[in-house]
Amino acid sequence: MFEEPATKKAKLDPTTMTEKDIISDYINKIKNSKSNLQAVLSDELSHTIETTKVYIASIKDKRNISKAIQVLNEKLPLNELSHLKRVRKNTILLCQSSTVNTSTIEEYIDSKLPELKDVFELFSEIDVPSQAPKLKRQYTEAMKMWSCNFHPDIYLEKLSGDHFFPEDELNLHRTFMAIAFEAAGWYLKSTVKEITGDLLQAVNSSVVVDPSINSVVAVSFDNRLRHPVQHTAMMAIDDVARTQDGGAWTRKTTCNDSELSGIDMDLLEHLRIKFPDTKFGAKKFTSKEENIENGEKENTGPYLCTNYYIYLLKEPCFMCSMALIHARVKRVFFCFENSEFGALKSKAKLHTVQSLNHHYEVFTGFL
Amino acid sequence: MVEFMNQALELAKEALTAKEVPVGCVFTVDGTIVAKSRNCVNLTRNPTRHAELNCIDQVIEHCKTNNIDHLSYFKKVCVYVTVEPCIMCAAALNNLNVLEVVYGCANDRFGGKTVLDVSNFYENSYILTGNLMADEAMSLLKQFYKGTNPNAPESKAKKKKEM
Ligand SMILES: [Zn+2]
Ligand SMILES: [Zn+2]
Repeated sequence: MFEEPATKKAKLDPTTMTEKDIISDYINKIKNSKSNLQAVLSDELSHTIETTKVYIASIKDKRNISKAIQVLNEKLPLNELSHLKRVRKNTILLCQSSTVNTSTIEEYIDSKLPELKDVFELFSEIDVPSQAPKLKRQYTEAMKMWSCNFHPDIYLEKLSGDHFFPEDELNLHRTFMAIAFEAAGWYLKSTVKEITGDLLQAVNSSVVVDPSINSVVAVSFDNRLRHPVQHTAMMAIDDVARTQDGGAWTRKTTCNDSELSGIDMDLLEHLRIKFPDTKFGAKKFTSKEENIENGEKENTGPYLCTNYYIYLLKEPCFMCSMALIHARVKRVFFCFENSEFGALKSKAKLHTVQSLNHHYEVFTGFL
Repeated sequence: MVEFMNQALELAKEALTAKEVPVGCVFTVDGTIVAKSRNCVNLTRNPTRHAELNCIDQVIEHCKTNNIDHLSYFKKVCVYVTVEPCIMCAAALNNLNVLEVVYGCANDRFGGKTVLDVSNFYENSYILTGNLMADEAMSLLKQFYKGTNPNAPESKAKKKKEM
C-alpha cells in the first residue's frame, strides 16, 4: 500500500476525502518524505544563546597581565561565568556588571583592587554569553562576543543536526508511524461512516515498539469521547502492561497469548496483511520473582515501557506526556503538533524539565 | 475536610501494606464520598494507576450505570488526596474541570504545581489547597522509601523511586 502513486494526493481535498484516501495519502507522504526526523531539543539548545553584561578593560602594560589575572581570579572570581576566559588579546574581563555597586567601574576597581590601580585603561561594557555553549553553532556565536571554553558533545551535535537517523532506520520509523495511521483508519471505520480530515486531526492513535527486536508491542486508539482519561498514550501504557501480565482496563478482543495482548486481535489480523514485513509482539515477560527463581540477579525482561519507542499521530497532551515519563519510554515520535495542549513542543517541553527523574527523546517531522 | 483526608490517609496506609507507594484519594460531591481509591501501580504493572485516576474510573463507571453525563458530574467533584497530584493527574483533573483539589504533602518529584504548574495551561483551573495533614501523608511516604520498590529492577530500585 506504500506504492500507491504519489500523483493521487494532488487531487485530494481533505473535506471530500474518504477515510481510506486520507489515511493512504498520509502514509504515502510519510513514506516518500525526503527529510530526516528532527529532535525537539530544550530551549537552551534551540534558542539563541542568552547573554549578560560584563565590564572589560585594556591592560596598559602587557607585563602586568599575569598579575592582573591572579588578583582578579582571587578577588573577583567569575563564578557562574566560569565558562568565559579572563583574557582576550590585551583585553581583560573584569567582572559581571550586576556586581558593580559604585557609580563607575573605575571606582569599583580602585576600591576593590587597589593593587591594580592604574593597570587598566579603556574601560567598557559588553554582552557575553551567560551560559557555556553546548553546540558548535552556539560556540561560534559565543566567540563573536568573548572567548570561552567549549567541550563538544558528539551525540548532542548529531541530535541537533539534520542527519540523525540513517536512511534504513528512518524507513523503520516511517513504517511504524504508517501503522499508527492505518490503525486510526481501522478504528474510525468501525465507528463512523464518513471520515473528514478534521476528524483525523481530532483523534489520536499510537504504536509502541520494542526497538531491540523491531517489533510492535501495542497499537492503541483514542477512546476519550467515552472515557475522558483514555487518550491513546494512556491506552498504550495499559496495553503494554497487559503484555506484562498486568493492565487495568478491559478490552473487546484480546489475545490469550500475553506477548500479543497489546494489540486488538482483529486489528492485528488487518495489520499483518497490510504490513507483511513487520514483526508483532512483545518479548516474553518474566516477573522479578521468576527471575530470582531462575537464579538471575537482574530483571532482564521488559519493565514498563523501558527502552520502548512510541509513535503517535498527534503530539501528546500534558497528561499523556507525563504518563510516558512515568512509563520510562525511551523515545516519542509524533506527526501532527497539538497547538492547544501539546506538552512536548507546542505548549511546553516536558522531556526537558531537568528535575524530573526520567527523560525521553522527542522526534517529529514525518511530513 | 479533615474527615475526608482521614479517609484518604486510611487508603494510603492500605497501599503501604500492599507494598505500593502510599497515596490515597477520595472524591466527594456535595459533601458525600463518591469514589475512593489508592495507588495500584505495581499490581497492574501500569505506572499511571495513581489513586486519582482510579477514582476517575470509578466516577465514570458510576455515571454510566446511573445514566449521568460524566462531563457535568465532574464539575461538582472535590478531590482529597494525601499527596499533591503529579503532572499527569493534575492535567487529568484539569481536563475534567473538577471543582477543587485538596492535598496533604507536596510532591517535589512530580508535582503538578511544585515541579510544573499545569494550571497555567488551562483557562479555568480548580481551587488548589495544600498542607492538610501533610505530616501524616509524608510519614507514610518515608516509611515506604525506607524499603525499596519491589517491582523495579535491582539496579534502579535504589536511585529511582516511584510516586
Ligand atoms: Zn492526552
Ligand atoms: Zn499522579
